[in-house]
Amino acid sequence: MALSKEDRVRELAPLVGIPIMESELAEVADRFDSLLQELECLMSLDLADIQPVTIFPEEE
Amino acid sequence: MARDDLAFLSAAETAEAIATKQVSPVDVVQAYLARIERLDGQLHAYITVLRDEALAAARQAEQALNRGDELRPLFGVPVAVKDQFWTKGILTTNGSRVYRDFVPSEDATIVTRLKEAGALILGKLNLSELAMGGTQQPPYGIPRNPWDLERTPGESSSGSGVALAAHLCAASVGEDTGGSGRGPASCCSVVGLRPTFTRVSRYGMTPMCWFTDAASPMTKTVRDCALILGAIAGYDPQDPSTSRKPVPDYTALLGQSIRGRRVGLIRELQEHDDMHPEVRRAIDDALGVLRQLGAEVQEISIPLVALAGAIFVGVADTEGAGARDEILRRRAAELDSASRTRLQAAALVPAKVYNRAMKARVLLRQQFMQALQQVDILVSATMPQPPPKHNALTAPFRGAEDVRSRFFFRRAYTGCYPLAALPAISIPGGFTSDHLPIGLQFGARPFAEATLLQVAYAYEQATPWHTRRAPGTEG
Repeated sequence: MALSKEDRVRELAPLVGIPIMESELAEVADRFDSLLQELECLMSLDLADIQPVTIFPEEE
Repeated sequence: MARDDLAFLSAAETAEAIATKQVSPVDVVQAYLARIERLDGQLHAYITVLRDEALAAARQAEQALNRGDELRPLFGVPVAVKDQFWTKGILTTNGSRVYRDFVPSEDATIVTRLKEAGALILGKLNLSELAMGGTQQPPYGIPRNPWDLERTPGESSSGSGVALAAHLCAASVGEDTGGSGRGPASCCSVVGLRPTFTRVSRYGMTPMCWFTDAASPMTKTVRDCALILGAIAGYDPQDPSTSRKPVPDYTALLGQSIRGRRVGLIRELQEHDDMHPEVRRAIDDALGVLRQLGAEVQEISIPLVALAGAIFVGVADTEGAGARDEILRRRAAELDSASRTRLQAAALVPAKVYNRAMKARVLLRQQFMQALQQVDILVSATMPQPPPKHNALTAPFRGAEDVRSRFFFRRAYTGCYPLAALPAISIPGGFTSDHLPIGLQFGARPFAEATLLQVAYAYEQATPWHTRRAPGTEG
């Protein structure tokens, strides 16, 4: 069974070592969920030949 | 000239009036201090007012003037800086309780350079917590937009926007990670410039996101912006990432014709369904002004720009959360709840998603550079909507879709330029029928700030927007 948004955050937070208050769990879960949803749209981009380099304008 | 009128001068006019001994630097500082005393209890632009220090510096300036010392470009001009820049021996809060006792032992390089250019540091300005935006309960007071006290002055250099619109300083330096300088400039009908990445030192500027942070001159006029940029730009050995390119005279092209300049309206931003109709109309009107000035206007497509808000948050928030790991682990309770939950959510983002956002950023840059082969200047609104009410920004989120609609879309307009490491400027572009400011944004090629300022100045001088005064700040 898929985890709920809140349970997903409950599982991840200890792994990255940050305490999250139970009273704020729903908001963190909403923010995290929306972030992943929004970034999902990047999956359709062809980024195979692009490297995630730091951009130094002077070098171009 | 009446003392209160001194505060309505631009920085350039102030420097000129002092240099020609029409006014004394002490009178100018006193004029600003009197206005701060009268207005800032309501506006909350300042976190720290350096009354004694500014007056002492003004008296020294007066002595230098009487001695006939060589005068520098910002001689005697009272400048206030965002409380994100270190000031030696002076509290630097970063808008957060976490830094409530932080007193740096050095000045940020931009503070040093402002002083070297003759500026007097008048105080430290309010900001959203940790320069992020969305603070629900700002610990140093809610900065209020002088054009409508119920509305936000923009984030995160909120105090800079407020102080300029209410004439509580002659000029300011804010910071712009994803629009934190240009957004408040738009909301407050003032000028905000994001320079090319690496153009201005970041030494002594508390970081948000290493890849996109930039010091941001914020001013009453475009000419002032050119003066401030000229004062703070250039290589800094304390910030090895700064460019070694020579710093040009950014005022040199001001007043020169823009006939033949190629200007491109970014189609994806102008045609977005969520754009306010009066903002769209103002941008169309601005294009008409540019045409009358001789610019060649065309539409231009940057397909990925509509996703710039998401890419920006994927890069900057994730990076910011990583950089603040220590605070998140040990001092999260001291953060405002909106800052805390925003950083906590970003801290959970998987590496593969961050990697994809970083790659998309490079693709966005490529698309911008291709567009800038066809035109000299890109145009859009700075923000798709007029300044919203405070509670529209700070209300608790009602589910993921609410987060999405309130958080990502507007960031595309300003976030695209930092992602592409390009310079951009927001200048007053009109007002809605409710008298709310509209910002007009120009972008340009790397290190083309002089061109950016040339076009911005031409538009500014052809329109009346920069001459309007916010209600309640006139006298």
